[in-house]
Amino acid sequence: MMKALGPLSRRRFLTASASLGIGTIAAPYVARADDPTLRITGWGGKWGDIMKAEIGPAFESEFKCKLQIDSAFPYLPKLQASSRSAPIYDVMHTNSNEQWAAAEMGLVEPKIDPKLVPNLADVYPYAISDKIVGVSIFTSAIGLGMRTDKGYNGVTSWKELWDAKYNGVRGGYVIPVNSLGQAFLMMCGTLFGKGQTDLDAAYMALEKLKPIKIVDFTGAMEKMLLSGEVGMCVIHDSGIYRYDGQNQPTDFVSPSEGVLSLEQVLTITPGSKMKELANAYVNYMLRPEVQKRLAETVWYSPANKKVKLDAKYDAKLLTTPEKVSKLIQVDWKWYNERKDEIDQRVNRIFRA
Amino acid sequence: MQTTASSSLPVAQQAASMPVPGPTRPYGRYLYLAVNIAILIFLLAPIAIVVVFALNPTPFIQFPPVGVSLRWFEKFFASRDFMHALWFSLEVAVLTTVSATMLGASAALALARGNLPGTRLIVATMLSPLMLPAILTGLALFQTYVLLDVGRPTWGLVAGHTLVTLPYVVRTTLAVLHNFDTRLEEAAQNLGASPLRTFFEVTLPLIKPGVLAGAIFAFIVSFDQFPVSLFLVSPGNETLPVTLFNYLKFDLDGTIGAASVVSIVLAFVVVIGLDRTVGLRSYVKL
Amino acid sequence: MSASIEIAGVSKVYDGGVRAVDAVAMDIRQGEFFSLLGPSGCGKTTTLRMIAGFEIPSAGAIRVDGADVTHVPAHKRDMGMVFQNYALFPHRTVAENVAFGLRMRGLDKATIAVKVKAALAMVELSGLEDRRPAQLSGGQQQRVALARAIVIAPRVLLCDEPLGALDKKLRQQMQFELKQLQKKLGLTLVFVTHDQEEALAMSDRIAVMNGGRVEQVGTPTEIYNQPITRFVADFIGDTNIFRGERVGPNLDVGKGLILALPPSEMQSTGVLSVALRPEKIRLSPRTDAAVTAGSCAHGIVENTNFLGGAVLYRVTLEGGHRVLVQQPNAGTSRLFIPGNGVTLEWTPADLVVLKD
Repeated sequence: MMKALGPLSRRRFLTASASLGIGTIAAPYVARADDPTLRITGWGGKWGDIMKAEIGPAFESEFKCKLQIDSAFPYLPKLQASSRSAPIYDVMHTNSNEQWAAAEMGLVEPKIDPKLVPNLADVYPYAISDKIVGVSIFTSAIGLGMRTDKGYNGVTSWKELWDAKYNGVRGGYVIPVNSLGQAFLMMCGTLFGKGQTDLDAAYMALEKLKPIKIVDFTGAMEKMLLSGEVGMCVIHDSGIYRYDGQNQPTDFVSPSEGVLSLEQVLTITPGSKMKELANAYVNYMLRPEVQKRLAETVWYSPANKKVKLDAKYDAKLLTTPEKVSKLIQVDWKWYNERKDEIDQRVNRIFRA
Repeated sequence: MQTTASSSLPVAQQAASMPVPGPTRPYGRYLYLAVNIAILIFLLAPIAIVVVFALNPTPFIQFPPVGVSLRWFEKFFASRDFMHALWFSLEVAVLTTVSATMLGASAALALARGNLPGTRLIVATMLSPLMLPAILTGLALFQTYVLLDVGRPTWGLVAGHTLVTLPYVVRTTLAVLHNFDTRLEEAAQNLGASPLRTFFEVTLPLIKPGVLAGAIFAFIVSFDQFPVSLFLVSPGNETLPVTLFNYLKFDLDGTIGAASVVSIVLAFVVVIGLDRTVGLRSYVKL
Repeated sequence: MSASIEIAGVSKVYDGGVRAVDAVAMDIRQGEFFSLLGPSGCGKTTTLRMIAGFEIPSAGAIRVDGADVTHVPAHKRDMGMVFQNYALFPHRTVAENVAFGLRMRGLDKATIAVKVKAALAMVELSGLEDRRPAQLSGGQQQRVALARAIVIAPRVLLCDEPLGALDKKLRQQMQFELKQLQKKLGLTLVFVTHDQEEALAMSDRIAVMNGGRVEQVGTPTEIYNQPITRFVADFIGDTNIFRGERVGPNLDVGKGLILALPPSEMQSTGVLSVALRPEKIRLSPRTDAAVTAGSCAHGIVENTNFLGGAVLYRVTLEGGHRVLVQQPNAGTSRLFIPGNGVTLEWTPADLVVLKD
């Protein structure tokens, strides 16, 4: 019955259920045409589902506004194509590297004002560090994904990815289009050279990773690991933990050298006509109850120190200062300035 | 002249230009068959893989498949996002087909018959969206809409799709008009039909196969359109290909396969439906 | 009711200055079978298309029964037309094709059905109502086209080389039937053809056209026996044309050949062209008798062309002139073979003096 509902009838259904008092917990706010509209970007998948079903409507109801979430990529080119004075988004949600690119072009404000977003006071330092534009509301940890049924035991170091026994079942990314791949390249410099910016060491390390199966979407890597086509790969923790409860023979390893952070970043556009609402939204997304709900839905580590997750999530996600200290942040500003050169180089490495 | 030209061909080339080898050269025939079968497999393999992906119960592509299940179809049909996208795509494709067909067929008629100055230039301009990467068409339109401050309305998306499907209708209609015997129209007028009546009684029925072929192209190109839609869809109104692309970034499972199967079946149904109702076959050589 | 057509000084000049039709004037009488005859590009089809209303004259006027129709659109002219390729509507059945003009005239279904049936019966196509044109033979298509044109009882029937696509036997049969039909219905019929035999066989009168102009209008016998211009003499049938200087009652055509001019020819002076039809020359075995100056010559048969009912000889005269001679195949007289010496004789009155 529900699946046949169109957008109109869905709204009617929601209105009806609200008037009957069914939806009292997250009473859906029925926006009026003259309500202010906050235009934001947002992910699809489970994140998008819960945003649409709960978090978004609750925000609309509380702030008497309409939330228009664009979950169709690519955000940055669309923002770039629209006018600076009338940007197509008020708040942009995307990964850190794209935020840096946007900030460089002046498309987003580099910092969020703690006076306007009080919850900023409660976030871990990484979330507003100098490696971050705007604020990181969540992070994932990039480490190694493993099959647990192939006898690959006792993995503790990134360097084990180079072990010859993973030839043929090693998984990585198309670096020019994938944040995880880019972060991993920087990690290679740290592992085998003088640090993140030691590109020559990183290129040599990548060269030695071959043979390797590379994909462009992280989702594709998840599936290759699930199907056993790949035995060990670079992946983010939520890409493993989201299959929790399905008894999949896969696990996430946090290497001893540290995990890379994959931040979910919010920024506000300078030309936004909805500044107040935009700040309210950022603050709302940092609220402990909102953070908890989203973190437990998509297995992202919350940025707010005050969030108390259920034990199952608390055990695996980065929820203490000690755990958070293992995060290695990537200098995306540095990386973006060299992106073209790096792209060319890695394309050559993996094409050969 | 003809004879001299062909006899001056090198012997090898003459042999190559001979008709399909008869029973005296069975190997050539087998090779011919093998090549054709290979082409067929190459064309159909992606569809087969998609179907296997859609029916296999595991959330990843697996060979051999471990079973047959409709869970991905259930997930697809239960998803409001997918259902909304599917209907929206159909709506856009139908509107696009109507506008591209009317505009394209009229343009082709004007170009073929109008004695317009610079006809070749106009034809080239009309076909140019085919040469431009569609993503640029989408981006340019998006920028135009932003400049005009009209937002991203559905008609804007339909206009974008119309732009990239127009060339198909213009091309196929021009092709039938090229072979059209204008004496048929004169005959109608001679028998007392006004120009308007002549158009509906004679011209339109006779160019119908070309117009319809263009319309079918327009429908399919619009229904499967990704690059132009990418920039032009508005939040909450995404077409199926865009929704699939976004879904793919987070959940790569059999739902994608199920959606593809549904798309293929739908496109097929529409083509067959159009053929049956309006008639695709041309009656005679014009 | 059939109408008369008056073509008054009509010209057609296309963009780029091509003068397809140049000051053509003729009167086509009511109930007349009138042919426009000429080689391709002579302007005959353009003239027909102007009568039909598909082209608008650059100058001049076209009148039907005295009323100016020069600028009346084609669909209001009430003329039937049979096209060279028939132009049958491929997406309609035979009956629908024939009914088309009646439908455009807003007739009711029952009347249309009756008229279509009658028209198809007239062209002997009853029973083929539901076929599509593509399922018919060339001759059948031709009849459908004819039925479609006459069923509307047009004031004028226009035919653009309607028989050109048929084989010879069928063409002759159709010529006969078309002529019969035209007489029976009393139709004013304008017939375009490049086939002079067809024009001679069918027409009441013929207009011979060349280079956009009318060379001569006349009955078939006038056109054949008294061609006015060198073009007409040359275009209609085989003929021998001589050109020379008038010397008294004779024409000196050079190479020792002197032709006696017809006694009626008095006006022309200077350089003249004359035509002599091959069948007007009599052929006999060469005699040693001296030739009668002006109406006799000796020659040698170069080749022969057996036509069945007649034999066409190409003869080289002693002075070098080449002459065509046609003799009836009477069955009794002996046939000449190449190399035979022959004597040619003709009557000076059969010479026709031509305008250049």
